Amino acid sequence: MVTLFVALAVGAVLFGIGLYGALSQTNLVMIMMGVELMLGAAMVNLVAFWRFLHPEVYAGQMFVLIVMTVMALEMAVGFGIATGRFRAKGSVEMEEARELKG
Amino acid sequence: MMLAALTILGPLAAAAMILLLRRVPEAFALAGSAAGLVGAGFAFAGVSGGARYGATLPGLPGLPLRLVVEPLTATFAALIAVVGFLVMVYAVGYMTGEVGRVRFYAQMSFFMAAMQTLVHANDWVLLLAAWELIGFSSYLLISFHLGRPDAASGATRAFLYTRSADLGLYVAVFVLVAKTGTSQIPASLEVGGAAAVVAGLLLLLTAAGKSAQVPFYGWLQDAMAGPTPVSALLHSAALVAAGAILLIRVYPLLSPGVLLAVGLLGGLTALVAGLAALAQRDLKRLLAASTSNQYGFMLVALGAGVPFAAIAYLVAHAAMKSSLFLGAGIFQQARGSTRLADLGGVAREQRWAFLGFAVAGLALAGIPPLSGFWSKDAVLAASLAGRFAWLFVPLALAGTLVTGAYIALALKSLWQGEGQGSSVSGMGWMGTGLAGLVVLAVALGLALPPLARLLAAEPPQGMVVATLGTLFGAAGLVLGWLVPAERLLGPLRGPAESGFRVGGGFYDLVARPAFSVARAADTLDRGIHARVLGVGRLGLAVAGAAGNFDEKGIDGLIAALVGGTRWLGARARTLQSGLVHKELLLAVAGGALIFALLTIGLF
Repeated sequence: MVTLFVALAVGAVLFGIGLYGALSQTNLVMIMMGVELMLGAAMVNLVAFWRFLHPEVYAGQMFVLIVMTVMALEMAVGFGIATGRFRAKGSVEMEEARELKG
Repeated sequence: MMLAALTILGPLAAAAMILLLRRVPEAFALAGSAAGLVGAGFAFAGVSGGARYGATLPGLPGLPLRLVVEPLTATFAALIAVVGFLVMVYAVGYMTGEVGRVRFYAQMSFFMAAMQTLVHANDWVLLLAAWELIGFSSYLLISFHLGRPDAASGATRAFLYTRSADLGLYVAVFVLVAKTGTSQIPASLEVGGAAAVVAGLLLLLTAAGKSAQVPFYGWLQDAMAGPTPVSALLHSAALVAAGAILLIRVYPLLSPGVLLAVGLLGGLTALVAGLAALAQRDLKRLLAASTSNQYGFMLVALGAGVPFAAIAYLVAHAAMKSSLFLGAGIFQQARGSTRLADLGGVAREQRWAFLGFAVAGLALAGIPPLSGFWSKDAVLAASLAGRFAWLFVPLALAGTLVTGAYIALALKSLWQGEGQGSSVSGMGWMGTGLAGLVVLAVALGLALPPLARLLAAEPPQGMVVATLGTLFGAAGLVLGWLVPAERLLGPLRGPAESGFRVGGGFYDLVARPAFSVARAADTLDRGIHARVLGVGRLGLAVAGAAGNFDEKGIDGLIAALVGGTRWLGARARTLQSGLVHKELLLAVAGGALIFALLTIGLF
């Protein structure tokens, strides 16, 4: 039986993995995957809160839809940058990308 | 009317033409003064026939300049025109070969025009203007010999003396105009009370300055540095006469007290200046002192309350004194000096000139039947008939006595000695001018009764005083001829030679205090100057401190702010590595911080 606790635990695990991935990886694609995982964890939490606490309110589902849109946009922009950088520099290693230094 | 205007415009036009063309100045000057003579004669004739002329010239707004021709002004104008013309004729001879003739004739013509304006003025503003002009042009004429130091100092002295006395005229005019609200002379003469007394005394001061009365008579002798025709005109009909003319014109204004002062001043001057004349060693200076002495008589007549006697004396004196001066000028040309010691025996060379001089001198001493007798008779009779006879008659008689004495002294000095057979150039012109004036000096006595009728005055007469006056004059002549001047003066000789200085004269009484006041003022001024400079320096110091504060303080503060901001910015910039994961780490740390704060319950 899946309870709210189980769902939140899965979300927390997912978020932790995503955070670790985003912070520890140097490849742009890998960092984006970490970010995707964190967004996914947020979606799991949203769905869990809606399903177990207020199943009669549809605003929770709308939030999930918005987050999914944001994920898709993030993917599109991120991969656009990654493709552009790869064409220009031949690598997407972020240790080498210091152009934005203040 | 138009012809009467020639009186002023003739000489004025002559002056202008001479200055414009700078050629044949004699011809223009003669023509100008002749035109003035014609104008004055016409005006006099018209006035005798009962006509009156007046003109109003546009002057300042609300202060039109008024001219008037009435018996009194016509008489003065005729006198000035006649004497001026004859002196001008004489000057043609006298000035032959002199340098600066253009200047001389232009100034003489201008002087005459100014003097005629003064007599005709019926308005205080115009009178003041003319008064200034005669003072100015006489200054120029006295200093004609520019290179001579005595001419410069004499002219300056004359100018300063008369100018200081002129202040009285200004204040008097202000008082009168303020009192009556009009600048017309006839209207202001009806003022009474304290204003009349104040104005009268101030006018007396001014007249004393111009007519060289006690205590201002010293300048006249120094003014002798000018050419002799100038002296003749100055003393008889122009500058010096202006003082007496002014007093005669304002006679209705003078209250009894002021009249007493006028007569007393005149009597004193008649005596004191006569004694000073006796002590002179120079013919022209003697004549100058004599002028003060003679104007004293006019003031006595005025003080006694008979202006007609003063007018008669003024007219007669003009002829006599200009004759004397013109004669003296001829002697001066013959010997090149006016010192009595150099002139000994000159009478034997210039017999005709000496005859004229002697006749005029006898007239001045009041010997009948010359003009001086009649006019002096009028003055003596007036002083006997008027109030204060006990005061004025002795003074006038004493003045008559010294007049005779100094005339005799002059005649004796000119006669005794050897002739040198000198010749004088330009004698024709000089002789003509002198002869004309001597004839006037002899015959003017005949003109007094008609003049009295014209002026509607009663000529004062008296057998007793006439006899007394003649006796005193003759006694003076005999004394002066027989007794040397040094013996005659006795203990008075020293003071008379120094011009009766009281307490060191004007130098000690006026000049020294004025100088010390000036020095004190100078010290004060320097002190103030130093204070002002100190204030300025203080201001500079304050400004410097403010500038320093501005540069070091505020600018430093701003620079420090800027520096701090930049330092902070540099520190903050190191945070931005540009590495994505570091930035992410920071974001996480920030998020964690916010989360922690939220959990602690800050909100």
